[in-house]
Amino acid sequence: MSVTAINRTLTAVLLAVLVAAPWVLPMFEAEFWLAITAEMLIWGLFAASANLLFGHVGLLSFGQALYFGFGMYGVAIGVDRFGLGFWPALGLGIAAAVAMAAVAGVFAVRLTWHYFAIITVVFSLIFYFLALRLKPLTGGDDGLSFAPPPVARFGDVTLSLGDETVQYLVILAFAVAAFAFQARLYASPLGRAFAAVRESERKAALLGIDVLKVRWIAFVIAGGLAGLAGALFAFYGRYASATYMYYVVSGEAVIWTIVGGTGTLLGPGIGAALLTLVREELSTVWEHYLLVVGAVVILTVVFAPRGIAGAWNAALARLPGVRS
Amino acid sequence: MVEPLLVVSGLAARIGRVPILAGVDLAVPARGIVALLGRNGVGKTTTLRTIMGVVEATAGSIRFADQDITRLQAHLRPGLGIGYVPQGRGIFPLLTVRENLYLGLRGPADPAIETHVFERFPRLAERLDQKAGTMSGGEQQMLAIARALMMRPRLLILDEPTEGVMPRLVNDIRREIAAIAASGIAVLLVEQNLRTALRLARHVVIMERGHTAFAGPPESLRADPDLAHRLLGVGAPT
Repeated sequence: MSVTAINRTLTAVLLAVLVAAPWVLPMFEAEFWLAITAEMLIWGLFAASANLLFGHVGLLSFGQALYFGFGMYGVAIGVDRFGLGFWPALGLGIAAAVAMAAVAGVFAVRLTWHYFAIITVVFSLIFYFLALRLKPLTGGDDGLSFAPPPVARFGDVTLSLGDETVQYLVILAFAVAAFAFQARLYASPLGRAFAAVRESERKAALLGIDVLKVRWIAFVIAGGLAGLAGALFAFYGRYASATYMYYVVSGEAVIWTIVGGTGTLLGPGIGAALLTLVREELSTVWEHYLLVVGAVVILTVVFAPRGIAGAWNAALARLPGVRS
Repeated sequence: MVEPLLVVSGLAARIGRVPILAGVDLAVPARGIVALLGRNGVGKTTTLRTIMGVVEATAGSIRFADQDITRLQAHLRPGLGIGYVPQGRGIFPLLTVRENLYLGLRGPADPAIETHVFERFPRLAERLDQKAGTMSGGEQQMLAIARALMMRPRLLILDEPTEGVMPRLVNDIRREIAAIAASGIAVLLVEQNLRTALRLARHVVIMERGHTAFAGPPESLRADPDLAHRLLGVGAPT
């Protein structure tokens, strides 16, 4: 049996557990965890956007919160100001993030390493302060609250985000679709071009790969993923705020990715879930819980440079009868 | 007379501020092998890198298939049908053999080419999911050549393909180069081993201090041992 086959089986089991969660958790009087799991899925999606750039193309972005914020504001403004329904507002959030990434990407992808990281932070900060200033549109410091429109209507039946199970399943469906999309993407010729650019720009160019174009495409797709995460988070919290556009939020996505496993498919989700769990469990008893997060990151970087997913794959490959 | 596939005329290039090439002339016909020879440091690799667009040409011209590509961006050149196997192989060691092989393709592989490549390099077919960096030097070289072939080149440029390869595999690689040329792909070969170069090549170009010092058939070099000694520091093998 191969590591891939084992991981596929475990992914199917995990998916089954996630789908069953709304009906299983109440049996243990743990409904509270449904909302937390939904949040983990959203943050996992957000971390996947940082992972696409860092783990697959080799670009360390500290600015993904910008596109997350555009996704949030797209939804909030769409619903609150334009009276849009669920789907058009979701589309507006993603489109806003993609458009912003397309513009910022033109400038950012010409740079690499710390220069790239700096320009992504600069873009993020510009729009963070702009969002605070444009109070009539964004609500400024107060943010924008809104009542979420129904997801769909079937005759007399209305699927509403007010129903926690519906909300969770909608978020789960988008997260699964987004991870399935990434799996296809990384196995495609474009995904292979990502890997080539990450490993060596010069070698990639000698194979006929347009390095800048590939980086720009990755930047826009990553912006779209962050935008989707932001849009879902806006529906989840019924709220959009400039706070989520701050570069510290982008840094969290990088940390989740590093802990979960850069360049792996589910690693960012695992990292986001683990650190959300740490926050939920520890923050109520110890206000300095971020020290634990910092320790986890340091230990991961030192002892498992490819993160939890990478260490897991390596451990599986060492088992007798398992091939890598 | 048929126009050669690749024509390099008066090519000059510099790396940083240091002029490396100053008047390289060479032509590669649509079939057969042209060997580019010269002592270490005369500019052979820089010539190939300039043809591929990695180093910018400061003077002269490069024409491929009757098209001026002197100023064409590097990433557009492989698409014209120029395959390049650089010195040190240029493979991606952390990617699998499979990923390396298909990197240059924009869509699905041509099954006929795929079959042809795996018939030619059966070792690669057995190691598709292995990390390329874990293979031997010779196998990595085969991977680099196979990857170039997957892109259906009309011209294959090889920079010292037997360098650092264990002797057991050197002959295999030479045989493959001859077979590739026999299949109708033009080959421009930089090779340190003079005996090999003269045996494989139909035409020889010798560089000296950044320019072309000799161009002609291998027989001319064999007939004039002093010339070979002066330009290469060794006598031409008989």
